[in-house]
Amino acid sequence: MAVTAVEPAVSTPRPPPLHADATGARNSTVVRLLRFALANVRRRPERFVLSTLGIALAIMAVTVVRTISSSFAITGEETVTTVLQDAPLWVVPAAGVHYDSDVEAIVADGPAPDLTVPAGWTASRTVTALWDSDAGELPVYGSDAVPDGTAVLGATAADRLGVAAGDPVTVGGTDLQVSVDGEGTVLRVPEAVAADLGGDTGWWTVSPPAGDADRNDLGPLLADATGLPTTTDPGVQPSGEALVYDTVGGSGAVTFQQKFSALFSGQVTSSALGLISTIGLVLGFIIAVSSFLAAVQERRREFGIMSSIGLADEVLYFFLVESALVFAAAYLLGITFAGIAVAAVIPAIATPVAWLQAAGTVAAYLPAMAIVGALVPVHRLLQQRPVQLLGADA
Amino acid sequence: MSAVGLGLSYGVLSTRRRLGQLVLPIVTTATGAFLLVVVLAMAAGIRAQAAALGHADEIRRAIVLIGVTVLLVGVVEVAVSTTRTVAHRTRELGVLGATGVPRPPVVAALLVEPLIASVIGAVIGAALAVVTAVVLGATGAASSGISTSGTVIGVLVAVGVSALAALATSIVPTWRAASRPPIRSLSTGG
Repeated sequence: MAVTAVEPAVSTPRPPPLHADATGARNSTVVRLLRFALANVRRRPERFVLSTLGIALAIMAVTVVRTISSSFAITGEETVTTVLQDAPLWVVPAAGVHYDSDVEAIVADGPAPDLTVPAGWTASRTVTALWDSDAGELPVYGSDAVPDGTAVLGATAADRLGVAAGDPVTVGGTDLQVSVDGEGTVLRVPEAVAADLGGDTGWWTVSPPAGDADRNDLGPLLADATGLPTTTDPGVQPSGEALVYDTVGGSGAVTFQQKFSALFSGQVTSSALGLISTIGLVLGFIIAVSSFLAAVQERRREFGIMSSIGLADEVLYFFLVESALVFAAAYLLGITFAGIAVAAVIPAIATPVAWLQAAGTVAAYLPAMAIVGALVPVHRLLQQRPVQLLGADA
Repeated sequence: MSAVGLGLSYGVLSTRRRLGQLVLPIVTTATGAFLLVVVLAMAAGIRAQAAALGHADEIRRAIVLIGVTVLLVGVVEVAVSTTRTVAHRTRELGVLGATGVPRPPVVAALLVEPLIASVIGAVIGAALAVVTAVVLGATGAASSGISTSGTVIGVLVAVGVSALAALATSIVPTWRAASRPPIRSLSTGG
């Protein structure tokens, strides 16, 4: 400062930079803040390790729950995609449909309603049944859209039955040739085969004429023609009469499949699991704040010196960097713990994709937690004058 | 009385003096213990909820895993509190070292505080959970009933895991503090 004061401002209107290394001034500041934070970590390594461990355990709990939730969401999207088969409209019976967790597929709770579609529209009835196969119970969707003598299996169903494309399979006394398409446990067969299995429940999938395929109001169009109610929300259940689910209409960027999968993941996050893990995250945050407050208490003199030479605002950056270090380390540790835990405890549910999705979701919470975690101790410091901080220990 | 016994008595006395500082770790441990005991007491209901989602066994295992994890999160606060205690008492530890008190009784004295905090927290949390479970069972809010064996296991696990985890996480900071040369503790301690 003294140098800038005596230097005549003749050649340049700006004072010389504080740091000689002008090219990386900003970078250098960040590096110095990081070195300062690391020096403080080294001063009390056990506290850094403990607060990191506490937050990591909390992040682990939330990541495990989110992994389960993502996994269910993926299942939800796959099952509804298997049902729709690219049709934009889904007419479900008055009794509704539900996800049967035993067979991992959507099944109808009542017979497909009577339906007459306008000229040019295509309606395909699906009859749902459960087939007691050698590999356990499997869901069967019967539809005339499937050619006679053919069974279209999801990859999981093919795996369970131990068959591949081209192999024969006998379903309810009918010999069919296997083809494999998509994921899941569903066997799609000709309607008569499903009816032979006792299938008397089902739904319709409806497609408009080719010229209307891009329209956004297919649901209301079909509703006008049939007198049935329509909705774009899969959370709405039929009440007393059949219901038309419009999977392409409505406003907003979220697709019907995504909304349907959100219903699945919501079941997890709103269950006991979700509640417990959220409380765990709150406890983890309390640990972080408590640890920072302890640091404030122990470093009163140091912050007093900083405040007295005008570095009051900079204290925020010190805490932000330390907080970011703690949360980043805790995040990496937490998602690693969670990966190991889900692989060991719930291998049937968790997939690497679901784990990665969960890790991404949890990462979204962290910046806010790290910033608030740093603001609390800084607020505590800024309430006191430098002379109070430099004085006797409170 | 042995040196460690004296250390433990000293630890109990200083813990009584510092009980106010232990409120936060007791609350966090109690929260973790409460959740774990409730989860185990209401295992049947949670199993039914898990069955609706599919993969009932996996979900049930995940719930227990998360319950224990949250309990551990609560207990970590006990250890953070121990580091705070150790920092506050650096000069006192220096005096003990300078007057020739060996390390084992000092460590024993410092470990009394996390042990008491974790056990009190776990017992309070478990007691609240038992009361909650009994009330829910009596009012019929827990449709699947309350498992007595699950409650007992929950209480034992909550108290045992809390005490063990508190000791395990507190041993390093207390050992480090008790190992500092007295001259350093006396000159730098606040």
